[in-house]
Amino acid sequence: MTDLRIIFRSLRVRLFSTIVTVLTVAIAVGLLLTLLILRESGQSAFERGAGNAELLVSADNSPLVSVLNGIFYANPPRNPISMTKYESIRDSFPWKWTVPMQLGDSYQGQPVVATNSDFFTEFQPIAGQPWVFTEGRRFARPYELVVGAEAARTTGLVIGDRVPLTHGFSGSREGGHVHDTHLFEVVGILEPTGASHDRALFTDLTGSWVLHAEDRLEREGTSDASAAAHDDEEHDDHGHDHGHDHDHGHAHIHVEVEDLTDADRMITGILMAVPSRSGRSGASAVLPQAFDMLRRDTSITVASPANQIERLFAIVGNVDQLFVAMAIAVLLSSGIGILLALWNSMEQRRRQIAILRVLGCSQGRVFSLVITESVLIGIGGALTGVFACWLGSLLAASELRERLGLVIEPELDPATILVVIAGTLVLAAAAGLGPAIRAYRTPVARNLRPIS
Amino acid sequence: MPEPTLAIQNLRFTHADPGGGGFTLALDDLQLTPGEQVLVAGTSGSGKSTLLQLVAGLLDPDSGEIKVDGRAMHAMNGAERDRYRGRRIGMIFQTFNLLDGFSARENVLAALMFSDLPNREHRERADQLLQRLGIERPDATPDRLSVGQQQRVAVARALASRPGLVLADEPTASLDPANATNAVELIKETCRQEGAALLLTSHDPSIRDTFERVEELQA
Repeated sequence: MTDLRIIFRSLRVRLFSTIVTVLTVAIAVGLLLTLLILRESGQSAFERGAGNAELLVSADNSPLVSVLNGIFYANPPRNPISMTKYESIRDSFPWKWTVPMQLGDSYQGQPVVATNSDFFTEFQPIAGQPWVFTEGRRFARPYELVVGAEAARTTGLVIGDRVPLTHGFSGSREGGHVHDTHLFEVVGILEPTGASHDRALFTDLTGSWVLHAEDRLEREGTSDASAAAHDDEEHDDHGHDHGHDHDHGHAHIHVEVEDLTDADRMITGILMAVPSRSGRSGASAVLPQAFDMLRRDTSITVASPANQIERLFAIVGNVDQLFVAMAIAVLLSSGIGILLALWNSMEQRRRQIAILRVLGCSQGRVFSLVITESVLIGIGGALTGVFACWLGSLLAASELRERLGLVIEPELDPATILVVIAGTLVLAAAAGLGPAIRAYRTPVARNLRPIS
Repeated sequence: MPEPTLAIQNLRFTHADPGGGGFTLALDDLQLTPGEQVLVAGTSGSGKSTLLQLVAGLLDPDSGEIKVDGRAMHAMNGAERDRYRGRRIGMIFQTFNLLDGFSARENVLAALMFSDLPNREHRERADQLLQRLGIERPDATPDRLSVGQQQRVAVARALASRPGLVLADEPTASLDPANATNAVELIKETCRQEGAALLLTSHDPSIRDTFERVEELQA
């Protein structure tokens, strides 16, 4: 028989109360840890998304919206930039690289990024870590698709699949119209990056322009345009696949690449990096100069993804702190729960304490038995809470990925866990003080009599 | 002459009852030699239980001295007295006062926790006592044992640490006369086997004849 055995017997006698108290602590610890971990993981996930892009140009209304749309694919940008404008920006400065991109289509709710091959050679989703293909290759011509790791998992797409794209993002105002005249072939699947790009699909800009040109012409209700149009019956030699589920009651318009006009060749964003000074790492000294030059052009919005992410966290920081404060309040209330559970149990345990005293247990040892019991409840709750946190983080990460497209990898930082567990134990020990003092003072002689 | 196991000199204790009543316990001299068995008789309210609690060091006397195996109980500080009680004194109660949720064996082991016996001998000592006292289910908790078995567990627990003195407080109060005699005989016999002195309180006249020495407490 040991002190621990006595404590476990005591806890077992009050099993229901013990379980409820442990669960109360577990929920509080789990909540606190989940919030702390999600905050850290969320921030790093946001930071990962921008990769090695130092600037993002778009026609969005604000730099923050520009980053949310252009890096995190929150919504399809509403205002396009012409390729002519892009070329003018590209040629205006000795950029290290520029990558045009166009957002607006999706596949099964996953955003499709139309871009060029520089996206895979110049842009890195995590700075210093180029793209890696799990399978296949990058697109080499229009109507080929590269699928992000998460998008591949959720859509089930595999190499060789041919699928139509949908205009707009899932849930966006433009969503719903399927570009069923062209099927896109999956030619590559990417390794996970932990960034927002994992849930995107990537294709060549030209194919996307063709789709939207056909849409535009259909909307305009014209099929002449020596320009560009051929109806279904006449045309079947594009060198790529078409969907043939045409029951709109009118002839489909097909556009060839060479028929694209400047009005069709639109993009929604430009990822850019400036050259670094020789022998110097980190941000380039020419970045502010490039930034200022672009800002002078009022027709575009220029954003530094790193700054915007920092700004975003500054905005949500107060809410974030509020959540953490609430979690700490829950933890404190769980400490009160331990106190109440033990305090109430003292009434039932007066006789047990008196018997132990008769058997030779000192007042000090009775005190330490109650404190240890309280700490054990804290340990049980803390460990259950860490497990709950791990589970909760996975669920929350999954929800964030599904709902916001924010790819986070919840990691249980050992230092954070240790601090929270230690804090819980101190709280549990403090909560046990009152009941322990009460146990210490329990009069023996009076409590040896039968308690009715 | 061997040192007495229990020596009480000029003991005075006043029990003040807030609701009225109360009593004064006065005992000028009482000694028990090693292995001696003494019945403390007296009517209800004469202070029999109080006397045992004073001997065990659970209450402090107003004056006088109580020595157990030569050590003055009330000269020791609280923790020292608790430890000494655990090693030298065993107690049996009218309601047995077994620990809820603990098996019969664990009740005996709980007493051994505070004894001088090395840990490695605890299990063997507990099993030996329980077997000798006829406990058939040592892993059963008290609520699953008969009253008679519970009393035997209480006796085993009181003697577990090989005390020099066993204090039995009205152990027959809730038993019929036949079982009362058997219970007293069990306690006496076990104390004899273990070499412990016995101070047993009872107001039951039917067990008077089983003791060679009876001390009367006056209310």
